[in-house]
Amino acid sequence: MLKPYLPHDLLWLAPRSALATDTELPAWLPQHWHPGLPVVVRRASSRPGWIAVGVRGPLRWQRCALWARLQQVGRALSPEQVAAQQGWRQHPRLAALPALQALQQLHPALQASGLAWGITGSAGFELATGQPALGPASDLDLLLRCPQPPARAVVQALAETLAGLPCRVDIQLQTPTGGVALDEWLRGGRVLLKTASGPLLLDEPLAAWPAHRQNHVEQCP
Amino acid sequence: MEKLHLHYPAGAPAAQAVLVGVVASGDLEVLIAPAAAGSCHIVIHSAADGSAARWRAQLDRLFADGQAAAMQMEINDFGATPGVVSLRLAQALEELSA
Repeated sequence: MLKPYLPHDLLWLAPRSALATDTELPAWLPQHWHPGLPVVVRRASSRPGWIAVGVRGPLRWQRCALWARLQQVGRALSPEQVAAQQGWRQHPRLAALPALQALQQLHPALQASGLAWGITGSAGFELATGQPALGPASDLDLLLRCPQPPARAVVQALAETLAGLPCRVDIQLQTPTGGVALDEWLRGGRVLLKTASGPLLLDEPLAAWPAHRQNHVEQCP
Repeated sequence: MEKLHLHYPAGAPAAQAVLVGVVASGDLEVLIAPAAAGSCHIVIHSAADGSAARWRAQLDRLFADGQAAAMQMEINDFGATPGVVSLRLAQALEELSA
């Protein structure tokens, strides 16, 4: 039984590993990805023996959706592991990167939330690899593991601490069935749930935690 | 960053203002305000350059028939997938007529 990977995990593939794609590879891929760089687990329906991954391109909106062979996954790093390393503290560009400063300032509140949390997006990539991915205008993307619906007061308090930070912070709640934006969850009403089979609108946000899936984590099969 | 303006014929002014979606990676925000009868003006701010043709095709399908309410729509796209875009637009129009 291979270890299941979760959306946003970073995976390093064995050298010469085959990546498969459903469409033509973008022109930038060979120049911007090599097996020394991780790929990012994305949400998609499973294919036996393969895992859906994405590769970051040179521009922030550039992503390439690919499939990697599970057997060729060497090392994996979760967003929580990136956070636990606290790499922003010693980062040479801390003074120039608002996303890292925001992380430093937000760290005590995240720890106090009692929820498992991790760093995703360009901040996670840069902290995990040392490769520059962040710019002065980059947002900070975080996830909170929510195997059960989080206590409203806890996440509300966290959301309030975001206001004074030097950059925008996007927090995604990782429910047992997919990802929900914290802002939308706090707003009340319908929420968009990102699942392995595509996005869904939930009239009732608690439907992201169906009784039989509570305490489970969403997995990429 | 790309900014795209689209204009369509429309019916009577929208009855209310609507906000759906979020400012977050892989998502988008849709803001609707009522406009003068007959006019539908859409402004799209997209993180993805080269997305104009896709936006035009998607919005033509919804608005080209001129049957929608008159509105000013602002779309702030943060790299949403086509699936998320469709869902958010449908949600916005549904809440507009709710």
